[in-house]
Amino acid sequence: MSEVINTAPVSQDDNTKVGMWVFLGGEVVFFAALILIFLLSRLVHADYSAQFRSHLSIPIIALNTFILVTSSYFIVRALEAISHGEGKGLRNNLFVVIVLGLMFLSGQAFEWTSLFKEGVTFSTAFGMPFFTVTGIHGTHVFVGVLWAIYLLVSHRRIPYTQENHLGIENFGLYWHFVDIVWIVLFTLIYLI
Amino acid sequence: MSHETTQRRANYLGIFIILIVLTLVETLVSYVQQEAIKFPVLVVLSVIKAVLVLLYFMHLKFDSRVYTYLFIAGCVLAIPLILVMTIVMPVIARYH
Repeated sequence: MSEVINTAPVSQDDNTKVGMWVFLGGEVVFFAALILIFLLSRLVHADYSAQFRSHLSIPIIALNTFILVTSSYFIVRALEAISHGEGKGLRNNLFVVIVLGLMFLSGQAFEWTSLFKEGVTFSTAFGMPFFTVTGIHGTHVFVGVLWAIYLLVSHRRIPYTQENHLGIENFGLYWHFVDIVWIVLFTLIYLI
Repeated sequence: MSHETTQRRANYLGIFIILIVLTLVETLVSYVQQEAIKFPVLVVLSVIKAVLVLLYFMHLKFDSRVYTYLFIAGCVLAIPLILVMTIVMPVIARYH
């Protein structure tokens, strides 16, 4: 791996990328607040928390985590492909990302349905923060899937090129961030 | 567009395999009963995974430092929020 550190200023062409990083900085604050509410409610309702956690299925969520991490890798491959001018590679990898995103959402829907059947609902003290945090994250994944579909469609009309693929790069940043949030949630909600 | 920076790429497959292995280790560690071991190990593994994604998949290691500062700014802004909520939330909960 290269050890080169880039201290060059940001070029004017990268304005949207700067905007994406500013947005992600804001998302850090947003998710920090959500995660904190979840953790504090877990501390306040310690008994209920232990009871609730017995309903969670670690293997299913671990599988969902593998799916999301894998999707992050395919976004990197998509960006790699288009940086080498390979439009077909971009298309194929974006398609895999969409499929993996939908698989993640299906896994989450399965988990939620199982919890509802076991009586864990939004109105419970621990269910409310749990569904809020995982629901907002799931919404981010859903938006990401829609965004990827849009990129795929727009690539058919006006193909991204080796020189012009900032749209793919910005989407990649968003998707990786959603992956990072899940990495944190997986640990804090399900494993600890 | 930062062509030079994206061309200076890492071994993405290697990073991906590390992330998968760490996730597997995390899942196995979650079944350990000793909380004193489990908690720090899981937190450290989670941080390592997040940093790997940030540095390599999001190219912070290779891109302009401006992006790193922007992201750190978000983390810094979250600190007062976390402090205030940590103090206020238990107090509110006590009255419910």
